[in-house]
Amino acid sequence: MYMATNTHILVPEFDYRRPGSLSEVLALAAEHGDRARLIAGGTDLLVQMKMERDAPSLVISLAGIEELRGIASGDGLTIGAMTTIRDVAGSATVRRQYAALHEACQAFSTVQIMVMGTLGGNLCNASPAADTAPALLVLDARVDLVTGEGGRSVALGDFFTGPGRTVLAGGEVMQSVTLPEPGAGTGSAFLKISRVVADIAQVCAAVRLVRDGDTITDCRIALGSVAPTPLRIGRAEASLTGGNGGLEAFERAARIAAEEIRPISDVRATAAYRRHAAGVIVRDALTTAWRRAGEGGGK
Amino acid sequence: MSASDFQSVGTETWRQDGIAKVTGAEQYAPDISVDRMWFGRVLRSPHAHARIVEIDTSAAEALGAVCLTFADIPKVKYNERIVSTPPCLYRDRYVLADKPRHVGEAIAGIAAPTEALAEKALRAIRVEYEPLQTIITMDQAMRDGAAPIHDTIRLMDDDIPIEHNIAVARTIEVGDIDRGFAESDIVIERKFKTNRIYHAQMETKTVLCRPEVDGGLTVWASTQSIHNTRILLGEIYAIPLHKLNVKKAALGGSFGSSIQMNSVTPICVGLALKSGRPVKIVSTREEDMYDHVRYPSEITLKLGLKADGALIAGHMRADIDIGAHNIQAYPFLGCMGGFWASLYTLPNLKYEGRAVYTNKTPSCAMQGFGAPQTTFAVECLMDEIAADLGLDPVQYKLAHYVGLGGTFWGQGPASKCIIRSDGVPELLKVGSEKIGWKNRPKAGSGSGRYRRGIGMARGFHTSGVGHPKTSGAEMIDYSGAIVKVNEDGTVDLVQSLMDHGGGTNDAIAKIVAEEIGVPAQMVGISPVDTRTTLYDVSTHATRGVYAGGAAALKAARKVRQMLLDQAGRVLDVLPESLVIEPDHELGQGVIHCPNLADRRITVGALAKHMQINSLGTIAAAESLRQVNCPPAYVSYFLELEVDTHTGQIKTRRAVLGSDCGTVVNPKLAAGQLVGGLSKGHGYALIEDNHWDPETGELASKGFWVDGKTPSMSESPLLDDVETHFAHTFEPTGPFGAKGLGEAAGNPAVAAFANAVHNAIGVRFYEVPITPEKVLAALAAKQGPGAPARPEEPVADEPRLDPAPAGE
Amino acid sequence: MNDRRVRFTLNGEPREVSVKPNDLLLNVIRDDEKLTGTKYGCGIGECGACTVHIDGRPVLACLELAVAAEGREIVTIEGLAGNGGALDPLQEAFLDNGAVQCGFCTPGMIMMGRALLDETPEPSEAEVRDYLRGTLCRCTGYASIVQSVIDAGAKEAAAD
Repeated sequence: MYMATNTHILVPEFDYRRPGSLSEVLALAAEHGDRARLIAGGTDLLVQMKMERDAPSLVISLAGIEELRGIASGDGLTIGAMTTIRDVAGSATVRRQYAALHEACQAFSTVQIMVMGTLGGNLCNASPAADTAPALLVLDARVDLVTGEGGRSVALGDFFTGPGRTVLAGGEVMQSVTLPEPGAGTGSAFLKISRVVADIAQVCAAVRLVRDGDTITDCRIALGSVAPTPLRIGRAEASLTGGNGGLEAFERAARIAAEEIRPISDVRATAAYRRHAAGVIVRDALTTAWRRAGEGGGK
Repeated sequence: MSASDFQSVGTETWRQDGIAKVTGAEQYAPDISVDRMWFGRVLRSPHAHARIVEIDTSAAEALGAVCLTFADIPKVKYNERIVSTPPCLYRDRYVLADKPRHVGEAIAGIAAPTEALAEKALRAIRVEYEPLQTIITMDQAMRDGAAPIHDTIRLMDDDIPIEHNIAVARTIEVGDIDRGFAESDIVIERKFKTNRIYHAQMETKTVLCRPEVDGGLTVWASTQSIHNTRILLGEIYAIPLHKLNVKKAALGGSFGSSIQMNSVTPICVGLALKSGRPVKIVSTREEDMYDHVRYPSEITLKLGLKADGALIAGHMRADIDIGAHNIQAYPFLGCMGGFWASLYTLPNLKYEGRAVYTNKTPSCAMQGFGAPQTTFAVECLMDEIAADLGLDPVQYKLAHYVGLGGTFWGQGPASKCIIRSDGVPELLKVGSEKIGWKNRPKAGSGSGRYRRGIGMARGFHTSGVGHPKTSGAEMIDYSGAIVKVNEDGTVDLVQSLMDHGGGTNDAIAKIVAEEIGVPAQMVGISPVDTRTTLYDVSTHATRGVYAGGAAALKAARKVRQMLLDQAGRVLDVLPESLVIEPDHELGQGVIHCPNLADRRITVGALAKHMQINSLGTIAAAESLRQVNCPPAYVSYFLELEVDTHTGQIKTRRAVLGSDCGTVVNPKLAAGQLVGGLSKGHGYALIEDNHWDPETGELASKGFWVDGKTPSMSESPLLDDVETHFAHTFEPTGPFGAKGLGEAAGNPAVAAFANAVHNAIGVRFYEVPITPEKVLAALAAKQGPGAPARPEEPVADEPRLDPAPAGE
Repeated sequence: MNDRRVRFTLNGEPREVSVKPNDLLLNVIRDDEKLTGTKYGCGIGECGACTVHIDGRPVLACLELAVAAEGREIVTIEGLAGNGGALDPLQEAFLDNGAVQCGFCTPGMIMMGRALLDETPEPSEAEVRDYLRGTLCRCTGYASIVQSVIDAGAKEAAAD
């Protein structure tokens, strides 16, 4: 047993390219297919490679592709896949209009990992526990994927197919994440429970409400770390949409969410705890989002 | 006397290694490299318990690596922690495993010119194993017919058979418990269980060994004792000690995990000898996690008392899961019994301890050596008894604790002393006032989602292992020091005692300065090795300042007398008429005669005078064993907040008190207490390790976060932590000082458990008190049929909202 | 896997080194450049002991490929003290507060504290705890470290 997890050196050997343009990246990705990996922040990929769970023969750096970085407002928001978690967290627009995403990025592991890790990397890694995924799910995010042949836009809800698996085809690259403009009376929130703050979530939840007076006109609820992929809870959403907001309704929706999820027991938490805690944070997140929706300004 | 009477002791100074540590210049063992150095790695067993059928290293050697296997090593059976005396030293291991007894046990060593080649070679070794029964729990281990993990253990020249995987057992009896329990009005018995946590020291165990041309070795290693490392390596590899030099490197944390010579050290030496090259091994984090953990415990504690609460009899049974090797179970069992006997007066007591082998990472000392485990059981049960009797726990404990004039068992039955300084009344009074003890809620009376509770516990650790007897000792305990005056009046303190970071060496430098009469900054801590220092057993047992400081004080006293004698000649006065005092403006010690103002000379001028007139160096080398082992008392008063919806617990306030006698380094002493709280928080609430019951693998797979070491975010706010010190003076300690380090965390677990009880009315007998356990306990409290999920309305605004920046 | 030349500045000095694609920046800094203040603690970004600044931002050198350092400005703990060895105010604050015990986490802590102070002068306690949460210390319980960052921020603000 040679215990690869924490080796001082990176044992697998590979070739490294750092293209200067997206078209070059796409060409390389197309040419090398499954033998190549794209590296963004590297905080997931290099750990996987250290553990020898992944051994690409070519690592293609996206660091030189400026067009994949940055946050642009317009009709909604477009976030380049290479934008760091720290930059998303620090965006005034995100904080103001997409509170759930802001909070998910703030709750992300550690500041060093936030500085290195990217939004696209977090999604493409497709961890069931990815903090940004539930937040983006409730914000109706779409991801823009591109190959040398052209691009497609995929609803984030259709993007994840299993732990570590997505609809990304060989040679396909995530270019950006787009979020629609929040309507009036929108409020969102993200909450996470973990053993220690830098840990992966035992369970995390994001919600978004659209509020008209006392009525919920639209609602999204999503959870992480409770199923093979980040999960929308349609039945809980339906229980709220069209009804009045308030603790009783949120409790009811939270109970439904806790029933709907399919958590497992692992080193981080028992399934029973996950189910229980999911109910608590869904209710709390709904309470917070409701308050925010009432404060106006789409907060 | 108090700290304010002193010139150096008790003053604030930058620690002497401080600038090196804040600039990155400090050299820890992993930072040291030498010419021609090769890199070592270790092949480890994937099986928890197996026989090795065959090892084939030919492919690795073909790559250019040097391999070390069981066939290569000296067949010397040793115990890696030679603090115990030979009649108490149970030896069960070789440099490499004869058969692997836990996942991660070292099977072979590899050395290669580059780390990359070493990694390749490691993967090229082929080992054929024959798996044996894996034993993970103590129950499995002691069952009839369980596979023997060790057949025998060596003690002196005897091979003692191991039955039912019980490595060693100890019984301690005082008085007659049958009579005691018969005379008791109330008998209460509870079972307690503590966890098997990882030390999580920042520096992974490291060693660099350079073979020398004379057949000797130079070694740099993570260790709490350079001398014991040298002695062990000398014994294993039959190298005379004058050719074997272990150099002191800064220690990046240890907490007891390097009292023993760490397992990589002799492997590296074997590789260096075989390859003829310097070899360095830096353990990876995962390897380190498989190398050492804290002793877990299962304690059954039964107490008999009179109706008024007076303790009449006690029976404690403790089973300790020691993992795959017996590193120090015998003294550990003795310490548990002794610490128990020293907490509260018990005229009749019986202690039965058993240490049980399992196929897991070996257990070893971790800050407290049996005291945290014992204190958890005793302080929780005392709290419960007080509540049952309607007594105030603080008053109840004050009425029955072992204090001034009582007997303290510093380190088991062989190291006892009469208590001569006792700050417990002051600690409990001040702690009660600061936390608002009188106003604490009635246990479990709170309502709403967040419930606060206040709890306390007290405890102690020993200061060293001193005792008066000249034979029959279980442990070795003495220190040495060389103190010499340089030619400008500065002083070199040459001592092999290691500093874990608590400021031990700085404290001793201040003690030397105080005694000689020079300003503190004139005493320098020398970089040292085994060749140039006197023997010191180890920096363990909270003995650094009390025992190591006393040895240096003895040398400094001699130096002071020599200075006075020489100055008397130069100044033409009787030495008895002279004093030495620090002159902070001059930056010198000044020797002068209070009766004759013109008779004065600085220590620097005197030293220079002696040098240019060839009068010799003023220096002393002294060795000393303390004959006492005074208790360093500590008190914890905590206010916690339990989130009854998530089960999470937050520390809202902490008042931590220490009776360490004279405080030598004020800020570092306070830092010991706050560090104790942090480690105690992890121990009590979150940290644990899990071994797969089938494979014996650690569930963490090398991920530190699974050890759940508390971070800055889990720790209480600055304004919510207060430290205070008792105004005591230990007459047997250097300038009244006794220990502090390990004591700082010993009552923590009990204090957390008692505060949780106060908050939610539930007693926890098993740690860590995880959110899962809190929720289960709350659900159970609500009775059968109650919903698993608390249904109370949210009275408070949800506080999990992590969005301060967004609001 | 061919060696390639990589150019960067290290503590203000231009460097050109030969690295393999799988060389980690941490090992180049420690083994090739002999700057051992940057520590290996876990190798997978969990402890923060290897934190350095790259282009002014705090990065884990154990999870950074050395080839990716091309053209970038790297500062390690050894680069913080000014010319003539004058300590950074944060380094002084660590010493004043007894925030150094074993010291193994200290370089990473100081690099994080410095990055925070550069981003947010005079940070609050909550900001310090949030920003430095990814750097572990087993000795101090963190209070003295938090205090040091706050003190250094106040001192720098007063000096401005």
